[in-house]
Amino acid sequence: MDFDLNEDQQAVLESVERLLAQHAGPARAVALNRAGDYDHDLHAALEAAGFNQIARDLARDDTLAGLEAALTVEAIARSGGVVAAAAQMLVAPALCERTIEGPVAICTVGELTQPTPVRFAAHARSLLVLDDGDAYLVSPAPGTFEPVRTSFGYPMGRLSEGASVEPDREGQALGAGAADTLRNWWRLGLAVEAVGTMDAALGHTVEYLRQRRQFGRTIGSFQAVQHRLSLCAIEVEASRWLTREAAFHNAQPEAVAAAAAYALQAADTLFTETHQLSGAIGFTCEFDLHVWSMRLLALRQELGGVGAARRALVEARWGAA
Amino acid sequence: MNYGFNSEELAFRDEVREFLADYADLDGFYCQGHRWPEVRSMFSAMAQKNWLALTWPTEFGGLGKGPVHEYILWNEVAYARAARNPLAAGIVAKSIIRYGTAAQRATWLERIRTGDIHFSLCYSEPEAGSDLAGLRLKATLSDDGTCYELNGQKCWQSYAQDMDFLWVLARTGTQDSRGRGLSLFICDKAANGVRVAPLPTLDGDQLNEVFFDGVRVSVEQRIGDENGAWSIIGEALADERHIQFPPGRVRRDLEDLVAWLNDHDLGHDPMVRERMADLAARVLETEMLGRKVLATMVAGGNATVDAAMNKIIHTTVCQDIARAVLDLGGPEALVTGNRPELIWRQSLTETIGGGTSEIMRSVVSRQLLGLGG
Ligand SMILES: Cc1cc2nc3c(=O)[nH]c(=O)nc-3n(C[C@H](O)[C@H](O)[C@H](O)COP(=O)(O)OP(=O)(O)OC[C@H]3O[C@@H](n4cnc5c(N)ncnc54)[C@H](O)[C@@H]3O)c2cc1C
Repeated sequence: MDFDLNEDQQAVLESVERLLAQHAGPARAVALNRAGDYDHDLHAALEAAGFNQIARDLARDDTLAGLEAALTVEAIARSGGVVAAAAQMLVAPALCERTIEGPVAICTVGELTQPTPVRFAAHARSLLVLDDGDAYLVSPAPGTFEPVRTSFGYPMGRLSEGASVEPDREGQALGAGAADTLRNWWRLGLAVEAVGTMDAALGHTVEYLRQRRQFGRTIGSFQAVQHRLSLCAIEVEASRWLTREAAFHNAQPEAVAAAAAYALQAADTLFTETHQLSGAIGFTCEFDLHVWSMRLLALRQELGGVGAARRALVEARWGAA
Repeated sequence: MNYGFNSEELAFRDEVREFLADYADLDGFYCQGHRWPEVRSMFSAMAQKNWLALTWPTEFGGLGKGPVHEYILWNEVAYARAARNPLAAGIVAKSIIRYGTAAQRATWLERIRTGDIHFSLCYSEPEAGSDLAGLRLKATLSDDGTCYELNGQKCWQSYAQDMDFLWVLARTGTQDSRGRGLSLFICDKAANGVRVAPLPTLDGDQLNEVFFDGVRVSVEQRIGDENGAWSIIGEALADERHIQFPPGRVRRDLEDLVAWLNDHDLGHDPMVRERMADLAARVLETEMLGRKVLATMVAGGNATVDAAMNKIIHTTVCQDIARAVLDLGGPEALVTGNRPELIWRQSLTETIGGGTSEIMRSVVSRQLLGLGG
């Protein structure tokens, strides 16, 4: 067993972080979110540097490089990057050999028949659609989805009035087993994004509480506060390990369900604790915490959230009810 | 023991409900920042019934009622989501009644009673949040003793953008005199040197910073003794404990969630039902704790601990309901302005504003459990 990142993985992480330092960050996320925009520049930079195809490019013996892709997505989430990284880097390569044109959004058929807000849908060139037993790739025409107003940190879109998408008619069926593959990698992506996002939210809060003084000392020096932050750190760390393990095993269903069930539950704790311990400033737009915290809640809404991940875990371990 | 209201109190409740029927769509409790003209005119209509002065002594133009009536009024207003109880008729007026001079009572009480003027609470500062006694905004008495000059900054003032006057806690003693060196002032928001700047918040509304740059305030606008503010603000807070976090708000949030679940055909799901049962029990918990505060006040006791317990639970239940709203609402709950999103959004700051949960827990552990520290 070797729990350290190997040299290649370390190099991947360092190079994406270098790129993100240049092209992403909370200020950029705030500006993009205000306008409901997608970060096409960051997307292009990631594409040019080869990160969008990393899971396939680094594949060995036909086995996807899930962990390397996950490390990249985690770093992008940590930076607050406004790109559909998980769909592009984790989910799409697991479903198609050829590169799928981005931005990529993912939704269920139900979210099309009963138009529901979907992350990145208003900007997507490709749409992966999960039906019960099938999965489809659709290229929505411009205007198929209209932007939805939200303050949860990602651009979202909903099927425009009068528009329709019928994946089984107009899309490409992705073949036998694709629905499970899509479900598992999508869920893995949510967990990975939650990890990077929680990490940044906690880091931001800890840094603030290291500086913020009340009663003649830093708030971070109060034991009652330290204990709570310690528990948060444990949840983030455990989420990271569960998630990386699931990525290493290329989205094996039980590992993914466990990682998502745990990480998405932790996301709620992290939201509550980081905001509470930041005090009033945490609710102002000028304090960057919201760049990450609000996203944690959005991630919990996708693919049935914690409840569905828990049911998937029970089913994977003990079989269907 | 009698958990219910008597017939006279029930009749008053019905009268309040009838009054509020006209304001069913006001939404001032959640959105006062966007609805101030309408909220203000509702307060004026309440003033017609003299309800802003419901508990003031009759000699000062009030109705002389007790805390039960006041609780009924503001609990119903919260349930109707019409408004939050106004600062002027509460903290400000009650402090003036208790500590003001005859001239100050004459100057301020009538204008407050009629809903003519409204106040913003200027206590917190950038460096003085939980540790209020550390505040720095300086009030310096002029050489001739006729006025004070205020210099410094306040932070997080709710609704200051719309209010007419500021209720300012300022330092008149040395910095290390802490709570013993503070005084209270009424300051006209339009006075020279006052500047209010918005702090946009995640709920789409705003808090404010208020800057004081050489603002001159006459000594007649200092309420109570110089350096005597700490006990005044404590007592003013004590007067308001039963109406600050009224359970009607939480009950209404729960009812709205139930209605939304039924509209979306989710009311049959056993997991959903179990969760709602838990929340229903917790709403009852807040109602009981709210009543406990009231009972202590009716008995003339000190409700500090009861109020701290009530605040902790009330605000946590608000957030638990909000969490259920998100969990059960799915992605639709993320759309700005949707009812579930609004319920969620409005629960965010409750565990911070009006004293954080952590400070309230310290009150319980020190004063109820006797744990020192
Ligand atoms: C919606 C809203 C409306 C407000 N309206 C007004 C208003 O109208 N007028 C006004 O003057 N102020 C107002 N405030 C300010 C409010 O009173 C302060 O936010 C509050 O006192 C906390 O201060 P802070 O935000 O600076 O948090 P901080 O004091 O910086 O505290 C940050 C966190 O640390 C915790 N903490 C601090 N000390 C300890 C300790 N010793 N042990 C454990 N934990 C600790 C706190 O509980 C909090 O969770 C409002 C705030 C909000 C959110």
